[in-house]
Amino acid sequence: MKKIFNSSIILIVLISACTKKVEEIQPIDRITPDLVYTSAARAEAAVVGAYDGLQSAEFLSGRALIYADLLGDDVIDFNGFFGDFPKYNMLANNGIAANMWTAGYNAIARANRAIAGIKPSVVGEDKAKKLIAECKFVRALAHFYLVNFYAQGYTFTADASHPGIPYVTQSYATNDPAGNIPRGTVKENYDAIIKDFTEALADLPLTQSSIALTKTRGTKAAAASLLSRVYLYKEDWTNAKTIAGRVIAGEFGNFSLNAIPEKVFGPGNYTTSETIFSIPNSVNDNPNTNNALPQHYAELGRGDLTVSQLFRNAATNPYFLSNDRRRDSLIAKNTKTANAGNFYTRKYPDVATRADWAPIIRYAEVLLNYAEASARMAAGVDADAVAKLNLVRNRSLADPATQAYTVASFATKQDLINAILAERRIELAFEGHRYFDLKRTKQSFVRIDADRTTQITATYGSDKYILPIPQTEVDKSDGVLKQNKGY
Amino acid sequence: MLGLVCIYTQLLAQNRTISGKIKDDKGSAIPNASVIIQGTNNGTATGSDGSFSLSVPANSKILIISSVGMETRQVTIGNQSSFDIVLQPADQSMTEVVVGYTTINKRAVSGSVAKIGSADIENRPVMSFDQALTGKAAGVQINTSSGLVGDNVIIRIRGAASLSNSSQPLIVIDGTPMVQGNVGQLYNPANALSDLNPNDIESVEVLKDASASAIYGSRASGGVILISTKKGKAGTTKVNYDGYYGYTQPATMMSVLKANDYTTVINKMRSNAGLGDVIKSGDFNGDGQPDETDWQDETYHNGPTQSHNLSLSGGTNRMSFYGSVSYLDFSNYIINNRLRRASSRLNATIKATDWLTFGLNTQYSRGYQYGIGSGTGGAASGVPLGPLRYYPNVPVRDTNGNFYLAQGNNLLTVGIIPNPVAPLLGNFDNYDTRRFIASGYLEAQIMKGLKFKSQYGVDYRAGYDDQWWSPDFGDGQGLGGVAQNVDDENRNWNWFNTLSYNKRIGTKHDLSALAGIEYTKRMSHYVYISGIGIKDPSLALITTSNYNSVSADEGFGENALASYFGNLTYTFLNRYILTGNFRADAYSGFGKNNLTGYFPSGSIAWRISDESFFENLKKTVTDLKLRGSYGITGNQNIGNYTAFASYASVSYAELAGASALNLNNPGNANLKWERTGQLDIGADIGLFNRVTINADYYEKKTKDLVLANPVLATLGFPNNSITQNIGQIETKGFEMGVTSDNLKNKTVTWTTSFNFAYNKNKVTGTNTTNTDLFGGNSIARVGQPLGAYYLIRWAGVNPQTGWAMFYDATGNIKMYNPSIATASQRWTDEKGTTVVSAITSADRVVLSDKTPYPKYYGGMSNTFTFKGFDMSFDLQYSFGAWIYNQTLSGLMGYTSVTNKSTEIFDAWTSTGQVTDVPKLYWNDNQWSQTSTRWLEKGDFVRLRNIQVGYNIPRTIISRAKINTLRVYGQIQNAYTFTQYKGIDPEANANGNTNIGLGIDNNRPYLPRTITFGLSLGL
Repeated sequence: MKKIFNSSIILIVLISACTKKVEEIQPIDRITPDLVYTSAARAEAAVVGAYDGLQSAEFLSGRALIYADLLGDDVIDFNGFFGDFPKYNMLANNGIAANMWTAGYNAIARANRAIAGIKPSVVGEDKAKKLIAECKFVRALAHFYLVNFYAQGYTFTADASHPGIPYVTQSYATNDPAGNIPRGTVKENYDAIIKDFTEALADLPLTQSSIALTKTRGTKAAAASLLSRVYLYKEDWTNAKTIAGRVIAGEFGNFSLNAIPEKVFGPGNYTTSETIFSIPNSVNDNPNTNNALPQHYAELGRGDLTVSQLFRNAATNPYFLSNDRRRDSLIAKNTKTANAGNFYTRKYPDVATRADWAPIIRYAEVLLNYAEASARMAAGVDADAVAKLNLVRNRSLADPATQAYTVASFATKQDLINAILAERRIELAFEGHRYFDLKRTKQSFVRIDADRTTQITATYGSDKYILPIPQTEVDKSDGVLKQNKGY
Repeated sequence: MLGLVCIYTQLLAQNRTISGKIKDDKGSAIPNASVIIQGTNNGTATGSDGSFSLSVPANSKILIISSVGMETRQVTIGNQSSFDIVLQPADQSMTEVVVGYTTINKRAVSGSVAKIGSADIENRPVMSFDQALTGKAAGVQINTSSGLVGDNVIIRIRGAASLSNSSQPLIVIDGTPMVQGNVGQLYNPANALSDLNPNDIESVEVLKDASASAIYGSRASGGVILISTKKGKAGTTKVNYDGYYGYTQPATMMSVLKANDYTTVINKMRSNAGLGDVIKSGDFNGDGQPDETDWQDETYHNGPTQSHNLSLSGGTNRMSFYGSVSYLDFSNYIINNRLRRASSRLNATIKATDWLTFGLNTQYSRGYQYGIGSGTGGAASGVPLGPLRYYPNVPVRDTNGNFYLAQGNNLLTVGIIPNPVAPLLGNFDNYDTRRFIASGYLEAQIMKGLKFKSQYGVDYRAGYDDQWWSPDFGDGQGLGGVAQNVDDENRNWNWFNTLSYNKRIGTKHDLSALAGIEYTKRMSHYVYISGIGIKDPSLALITTSNYNSVSADEGFGENALASYFGNLTYTFLNRYILTGNFRADAYSGFGKNNLTGYFPSGSIAWRISDESFFENLKKTVTDLKLRGSYGITGNQNIGNYTAFASYASVSYAELAGASALNLNNPGNANLKWERTGQLDIGADIGLFNRVTINADYYEKKTKDLVLANPVLATLGFPNNSITQNIGQIETKGFEMGVTSDNLKNKTVTWTTSFNFAYNKNKVTGTNTTNTDLFGGNSIARVGQPLGAYYLIRWAGVNPQTGWAMFYDATGNIKMYNPSIATASQRWTDEKGTTVVSAITSADRVVLSDKTPYPKYYGGMSNTFTFKGFDMSFDLQYSFGAWIYNQTLSGLMGYTSVTNKSTEIFDAWTSTGQVTDVPKLYWNDNQWSQTSTRWLEKGDFVRLRNIQVGYNIPRTIISRAKINTLRVYGQIQNAYTFTQYKGIDPEANANGNTNIGLGIDNNRPYLPRTITFGLSLGL
């Protein structure tokens, strides 16, 4: 009997000892949320985490820019890598559309979580304002790209009352039903984006702690420049001209164009005075072999995307002069016999380390934004617009003396606008603009398929002119998110 | 003095000497058998030749002869002096069953337990023992998802037990929980169970209902599989050699177009759309003939297979041992895909004193898996996608003998698919593993009926995965060559202590009780390095000087489980059995608020055949036991830190001065166990002393299913999901196993065993709003069976026009005509007159009668012996599952120049033709979209194993001092009867999931292995 009793005692003692050991197991490679926002350094790291969300391989580190060109007429999907995506006939469950949606909202959520967590008592009043402004900057930028992919253009309806995207400004820690937000109208989206950028502009710094960070984190110049683009897409010419003018005047820092157009691309050129905001990449942190810009665009990478003949030929792109510098410096012929007849862009050459930065906005665009807004506001041919246009264009001319524009070059105001739009097409080619510019100017167009011959038609305003909301998201929202018509 | 002499003489007159020989039923002598006079301590033991000599008193009546492993015999002494006694072997093997921490007699089992013996497992040419269990136990469905070395083997006992957590059963070897599942580190899967030598296994017990498995409580909702390895028996030492040689080939082959048909078909697609030819033949290997390659032929071969196993077992009354060494070399039919394994085992049981026993079971094995060099299955550089889809009109090598990597004279490319042979020969992914499994125990008989056992076990595996992508082709091309190495290890250690008590009270009552505690800790760790962009490919190591960039990563995880458990069994009159089990587990992975879970169960059994009123029926119904049980089991396969909310560091392009953090797990402090309540009613019947039937009806209700609840992307959680206890499923089923000794006489025997299972489940709840969960092409919707397919319905090809038609959600037919210029006008009604809106994913419907889970499944095996010959065949069957044939849909696309299936010959060409392949038309991307067109019945009957063997007669081999010698030939996976047109009706691309099963997406064919072998016993 004693033996049984003794054995039982031993067992009971062992049970309690073991249960304690179970509670001791904690993860060793992660930080609990309460530790994050009670430290100033970590709170700022959470804000940098929001930029890291933009840097997702499916979003602004390259792919989002590629999609905007792939959907336009200047790029051919030569290897068929993107499948149905550029054929204006994709299905509602298209994986590319689904991945970009998820990546965009993930970045937005990171920004919202940081806004909710930052406490002025921990980081200081001023710093708190600055960090919150950076989060609003990230939030607005992500929403802006998303609304331009998943909804029709601003002017599709008279008052932009057609469906846009859900605009998320709260942070959620659990599966909160309040997170099931319906689509706002495009007008509501743009108003929210402008509000976020404007509020950010007030509190963002002029520079960050290093040159590299100044070009890759929110600054007043970045917010103002992006605002000029937002107003331009909205056709609010007055505000576009005003804010672009402030950037040009040097209110947010001194920016200037490089003497030659190619000087803003490639290793070593990421932080020139022409760059305003880019998403950085590095050798160990980049979208990798299947998603990086140099992988898709450079022949020696995967060589998936080639320059369409519609971009290079005078018949379809008459403003691209035959001796324009950019023909040689930024477009290359094939080097492998298998690719005979193909042309590739030189803008993203770093195949070896895939560290090409993704140019979101640069000074040349601000000048063109200003020029276009000014040209559209004026009654006749606007000299100020011509001057800004020339700043961008002249550095690419073989012979500026004879080839530069003057006010007399344009018969009507519309001729000037066409020239500016054409210059925009050439200067900002392969930087994620073409589809957006075609859409906001309500153009139907033709693009070339992988066999370099077949034409694919994109009709402005048609159902498949825009991307589908990912079908799984529509399913999960249980009726709150409405799918785009035709999908 | 006289008195002494008289007494002495009297004593002498009362004793006499008897002698004799004790032999076994085969005629061999039995040494160390004990020969005792009944009722006394007077006895002796036989010598090595089986002879004995004993002085017995004159009035001795009965001699008791016993030997371990033999049936004890009583022999009347009478007047005999010389005895030749034969002892029969005691058939212990199938009467005892391991249930949890104890072994009990089969007749006393009140739960549902199935047992598979070593004869069904040993010497089967499989890569790991779990593949040999197919079709052997009722209700246990084992699905080998593909023929790739190391691929997932999915085990389902009584259907799926979970939605997002693993439904795999817990696997325990000699009391120690094993590291199980897919342990592949990079691109090839690896089965952790393949480290076990199947020939070391004595028996496998499957605990199916709650009463049997609840003793394992929190890990048992998927059932429990207990493996017992071979232990020695007292008696002569047995030496056995088993070896086989053979080869492996693909069991089926899908057929794709040859070069000239390929040219015709693709160019016809183009010309029907008014476009020019894109496929032209060429001669790039300089042999003067247009290039033509059968890529499947080039990548598959007859893979040689061999296995050798040497085992030694024996013992005395006090000590027994079993030792073995083995070597397996399994070359798959895919070039360079191979598994080699060497293992050694030593088991020993030592009875140190009458009350103290020690036991030790150890194994060390080394495995080397040669994986496929570049991705598997559906990856572009993988097998079988590459061999199926690559252009058939280009050669393997060019005139210089290098791999031909260009597109021939074809104007379009197959995109990123490389020459299929190149990655197999030029890349590699080799996984070198070491496995040490050991358990040691001591068992002390403290007093009569009370036993204490303490066992400590470890399962330690370590592996090194060495992988290389050449820069010349495939995945390594864009990166300039990539090497990746992973050094990983798993460590499980387990310690349990039990006290068991058995008491017989009076003559009618039997009581047994068990109480125990257990602590299990699991840990895993890996270190990963990669080098991208190699400078000198002849240097094999990843160093910063030889690569453009070298990066590293580390991972770690651990969890612990502390439990206490108990069992009480009361038997009345040896025929009314009442059992209760209870277990409490605390698990580190659960939320702080819910660390401990409680799992009770109970069962009753009634052996009707022992009742007095049953006497008359006993001739026919030799055994009848009714049993019922109910209990609660749990599932804790949720990962180590799922409940903890956490931020982890991330990198923002490694910019200096910018460290970044991000939420990587929203966590859940309330996360707790999944619980399954299971009711089981069963009967064990024996008929005519030659037929046994086990039948069970069961109902399982699982709730608090831990789900990665898919949430909206706008919440911004990683993977768009948050882990919660929300789901509920219900399963009902019936299973039956029958074993019959049809014929049993001296020359011929014939036994059949057959099992059958029927299983039906239903999702009864998902999350708080009962929303649907999606996986693969299936849905988990409340009120529907788990995994019901959710697809657009195909309506056939219009015989008048040749275009594809689909049903929309309301049942109207819509036809797609790609030849119309404006995209928005291509969808019309069946007549082609009215333009309608496109078929979209809103037209998907839930197909409640079609799920990837079979409705009826099981197996049958027959064994015949005739004199020295034996023949057996096993078959496995499954009816009612549906498979989505994505492999075929990828081979029927009209938008690329990848090779097509020969089914494309059925394409519509003339008005009125009835077919299911529409008119060839370039760029028609709608017809082959995901729909029921590709959903096929997965019914099959598979001849799993056929074996023919011959036992060479004793008379011949005993001259060479050999005891037994059997030669045999066998075919594993001989033939499958099925109408399924894809890779295989068991093909499964999504691995071990619950909802998204049943998608056949380019998994390698299952292999057929033919071997010839021999088993030799000394």
